Amino acid sequence: MTAQAETTAAKTVLICEDDSNLRTLVRLALGESYRFFEAPDGPSALELTRRIQPDLIVLDLMLPGRSGFEVLSDLRKGDNAETPVIVISAWSHSDEAAYEAGANRFVAKPFDPDELRDAAVELLGNDGRHN
Amino acid sequence: MSLSSRIVAGSAVLALLVAAAFGVLVFAVTSLDDATKRERHAKAVTAQTLQLEKLVLDLDTGLRGFVLTGKTDLLRPWTSASRALPSKRHAFLKLASTTPEERRRAEGLVSSIDQYVSDYATPVVEIARATPAASRTDIVRAEGARRLAQIRKRFADFLGTENAVSAARTSAAQRHSDEAIAAAVAGLILSAVLITGFGLYLARSIARPVKEVADGAARLAGGDLTTRLEPHGIGEVEELTNAFNQMAERLEASRRELEEQNERLRESEQAKSELVSVVAHELRTPLASVLGFTSVLLQRDVGEEQRREYLEIIEAQGRRLSALVNDFLDVQRLEEGQLSIASELVDVGRVVREQSELFAGQSPKHLLDVSLPPTPLPVRGDSNRLAQVVANLLSNAIKYSPSGGVVRVAGKRNGTVVRVTVQDEGVGIAAEVQREIFGKFARGHAADEGIEGTGLGLAISRSLVEAHGGQISFESTKGRGSTFWFELPTASAQ
Repeated sequence: MTAQAETTAAKTVLICEDDSNLRTLVRLALGESYRFFEAPDGPSALELTRRIQPDLIVLDLMLPGRSGFEVLSDLRKGDNAETPVIVISAWSHSDEAAYEAGANRFVAKPFDPDELRDAAVELLGNDGRHN
Repeated sequence: MSLSSRIVAGSAVLALLVAAAFGVLVFAVTSLDDATKRERHAKAVTAQTLQLEKLVLDLDTGLRGFVLTGKTDLLRPWTSASRALPSKRHAFLKLASTTPEERRRAEGLVSSIDQYVSDYATPVVEIARATPAASRTDIVRAEGARRLAQIRKRFADFLGTENAVSAARTSAAQRHSDEAIAAAVAGLILSAVLITGFGLYLARSIARPVKEVADGAARLAGGDLTTRLEPHGIGEVEELTNAFNQMAERLEASRRELEEQNERLRESEQAKSELVSVVAHELRTPLASVLGFTSVLLQRDVGEEQRREYLEIIEAQGRRLSALVNDFLDVQRLEEGQLSIASELVDVGRVVREQSELFAGQSPKHLLDVSLPPTPLPVRGDSNRLAQVVANLLSNAIKYSPSGGVVRVAGKRNGTVVRVTVQDEGVGIAAEVQREIFGKFARGHAADEGIEGTGLGLAISRSLVEAHGGQISFESTKGRGSTFWFELPTASAQ
């Protein structure tokens, strides 16, 4: 796994978040070593996942079109049952529901950029900087 | 007729009936007493008559002895009888005068005795004393016997008549008494039957309904507030039943009211807790940007250009936080009726123009088409609050047309009102949520569509427009966009 990560191109992260400021913040938090894709709503999040098969998905729960829960449930039912997902939400009490729906991590808004980065590193095995 | 009047009347009738029965009884006893007195009197009259007859016989005996023998001592019965006669005669007449008829008969008897004494006996005794032989004739003897027989017959007649009259009177009295006793007994039996009937009537018309009311009250006390009594009974009992039913009605109504109040309280509590949840969520989203970018700025080396960009984000999100807090406070004040509205002359046209200019630069995807007349649109009110309403409608028009499009804003004078219209080409409002769109925290399907907001804007706008004496409404088709408008009374030209 480590060998594979080192030999292939930078890992891809899909940010599903409707607030453009927060999308920027997620990029800044994770660092510049990933390849980022952005989806401002549920349907485009699913569409992009199918196309690019990201290594990690950062998913907001309040998404236009389809809610984060619906997106997560569709992902887990389809080809991306194993793709790591970090749920970020201002509904701080939604953590249990998010884990039940298949989230790997739950990060409450407002979040510490380092906390989000640590979660991503933990899930992907490295921080991508040593590529 | 009230129940108490009925009871009083019934009791009076029964009392009269019992009194009448007793009256008849008293009459019967009096009749019996009367009959006894008459009998006693008849006996006394008979005794007096017999004594009088004996005196007459004594007179006759003395007279005949003396006439036959001429011996003076044989005249003794005559002498003593003559002496006793006046008082006996008087006593007899006094006694036998109960009725005029009796008195007439008695006087007839007495006068026949008087005639015998004066016309025959006394003269014969005188003759016998003077010339005894002259009195000892057959004529004298025969005359004496005839007269005596006549008197004795009169005595027998008197006694017979007296006995017959007395017997008739006694039997009549006895008959009256018997009839009276029978009537009294019948009256008393009738009274007893009527009193029993009256008692049953009282039991039926008072005791039974009162028992029903008591049972009903027990059921009511047990919590069954649907308890009602059959509306029967008379007068006061009917009033009692009606009053009971009214009381039960009131109790049930007030419990229903309490339950409804409870339900409203529960709903309002739920709305409050939802508000707290929404407030937390709505505040966290801009807070995430403020805190996140602040920590990026603090922890990382960023270029001048980026630093500026991040600070602008922090400022904008800080403003958004501030606006949210203001909205929440406005709602709070509106709910408590504490929002103060100024009353100055405001040109709504100017307010619309200023707000449109502010929003025009915010979204490159939207085109704001503003249409205003050249003359002012004067209303009386609070320019800041009216600006808040226009801003809310413009912000909604932009927010709810995420794909962009034309937002048409118009202000015009419409008779006695100033009308402002904001029309968008956005997502529209589903029919099923249109009714509650002005309610607090009503966001339609905005959450599903990812459109931010507190759900308070339209509630605040409606309260503000109404506080200005105006009205606000909208037309909308799902998928085709919405047209919101509000009208305010035109201020009179000064």
